[in-house]
Amino acid sequence: MNSIANEVQAQIKERSPLSIWRFLKNRWFLHAVSTIAFFIIWDYVAFNRFLGSALARPYEVLLQLANMMVNPIAGKDLIGHIWASTQRILTGFAIGAVLATPLGLFMALNRYVNAIVKPVFDLIKPMPPIAWISIAILWFGIGEPSKIFIIVVGTFVPCLLNAYNGVRLIEPQLYDVVRMLGGNRRDEILHVCFPAAFPAIFAGLQISLSCAWTCVLAAELVSARSGLGFIILLGMTQSKPALIVGGMVVIAMVAWLTTLLVTGLEKVLCPWKREIQTA
Amino acid sequence: MAYEEVKIRTPLLLRVLPVASILAFFGVWQLIIYLEIIPTTMLASPSQVISIFVEKLSEPNPDGAVLWVHAWTSIQEAFTGYILALLVGIPLGLLMGWFSVAEGLARPIFEMIRPIPPIAWIPLTIFWFGIGISGKVFIIWLGGIVPCVINSFAGVRMTNPTLIQMARTYGATDWQIFTKLCVPSALPMVFGALQIALAYCWTTLVAAELLAADTGLGYLITMGRRLAMPDLVVLGMVMVGLTGAVIGVAIDWVEKRLLAGIRR
Repeated sequence: MNSIANEVQAQIKERSPLSIWRFLKNRWFLHAVSTIAFFIIWDYVAFNRFLGSALARPYEVLLQLANMMVNPIAGKDLIGHIWASTQRILTGFAIGAVLATPLGLFMALNRYVNAIVKPVFDLIKPMPPIAWISIAILWFGIGEPSKIFIIVVGTFVPCLLNAYNGVRLIEPQLYDVVRMLGGNRRDEILHVCFPAAFPAIFAGLQISLSCAWTCVLAAELVSARSGLGFIILLGMTQSKPALIVGGMVVIAMVAWLTTLLVTGLEKVLCPWKREIQTA
Repeated sequence: MAYEEVKIRTPLLLRVLPVASILAFFGVWQLIIYLEIIPTTMLASPSQVISIFVEKLSEPNPDGAVLWVHAWTSIQEAFTGYILALLVGIPLGLLMGWFSVAEGLARPIFEMIRPIPPIAWIPLTIFWFGIGISGKVFIIWLGGIVPCVINSFAGVRMTNPTLIQMARTYGATDWQIFTKLCVPSALPMVFGALQIALAYCWTTLVAAELLAADTGLGYLITMGRRLAMPDLVVLGMVMVGLTGAVIGVAIDWVEKRLLAGIRR
């Protein structure tokens, strides 16, 4: 809620005296309360076995993770499994983004390309990438290529859609400005289309990244000898809830870190985006 | 300024190309099977897919159920999870957007759970619920609730602050501002969430059925792979895509009808 009205309000606000009620309504206090309550309830439920033996206590999960750092599972320690998943994601993500983004831009810039590609793309779009797993295994076997193929499929759709819509939704006035200043088609594309579509392209990359995580997990759950999906599947087949929950915690952390990485990259590469956000 | 109505006719080529490209797509697909560039053990041709589609309408073998049973099971699971996600997610997001206590309490837990892809919950849910319908509904619910909360939250946050201050000036209570101002102004964002959540639910459903099911479209795909029947796999994929698209169009229609009464 950034508006001029609010800023005026903030200036005239008096400091209210510190009272218990004010302390209780403090955001950080509430955050702390709910986080602590979450872990206490988790521990309580796990300790009293309300869900049978299917939930591990938080400290057991930590113990399991520490154990995995030292003792390798299926020939790889925890870092090795994290790297196995990350490597697949980065490869598939890179291939998908490199193929889809230019194609999306071409479709938006040239109506003939659009007329050829769009109908076929619309046919393939509604199929969830995970539905491709079986056909990928039939084509490429259960090795690395099939997993990377699914990630490519998963990243392809959001990348292409966002690049396409990013260019299509540019305000026409911006083109008018370039034309009025004597620019030709090339100037329009270089000085209007690319900078204006950049934030949308990056939003597409963010979506593809979370899509890629979903895909890699699905692929690893179906068939793999390494990776984080393999770890949680192993936890299931060996009835070790600590392993499953530990795997989920690691997945959450790594996924969060990769998202942070893309956000950081966006801030560096595309500094004009922030102005759009606050507007 | 007076404008002259300018009619731009689309060139004939532009009207022919989409049709041609679809035809070429199916033609090439059929041809590479026909000429055995890709063996039939790896991909089925469109004609084979159509013939197995007709066959599966009445023939429960080899995967134990006719096509409609699979589709119906999937739709049932997806919709139960979807509706539950809407029922929990939208009010939660709206409340988090306006009441700082709700946000303070729910935010950290939500942020902890959010980065975990719903698929990562599958092993744990199989432990908890077995491979029945409740486990799948739980996973689909997890997949659908995240966009619901985020969009409703953002919708309330985007309420015009001037309106809120005006309401305050006229002595509206917090609850009145929430129900009379924030909720209606968040509605377009909430409806946006309906589509996103549906897409998430549908993807998650396929994943859930790939791993643990005995009927459903995802299961049909898995069976096709296990039996090395590419026609069954492609049929499953087409049905998943088709059903997803049909549901998407339906939701879109409902959304338009509901939004028709809201002034934008």
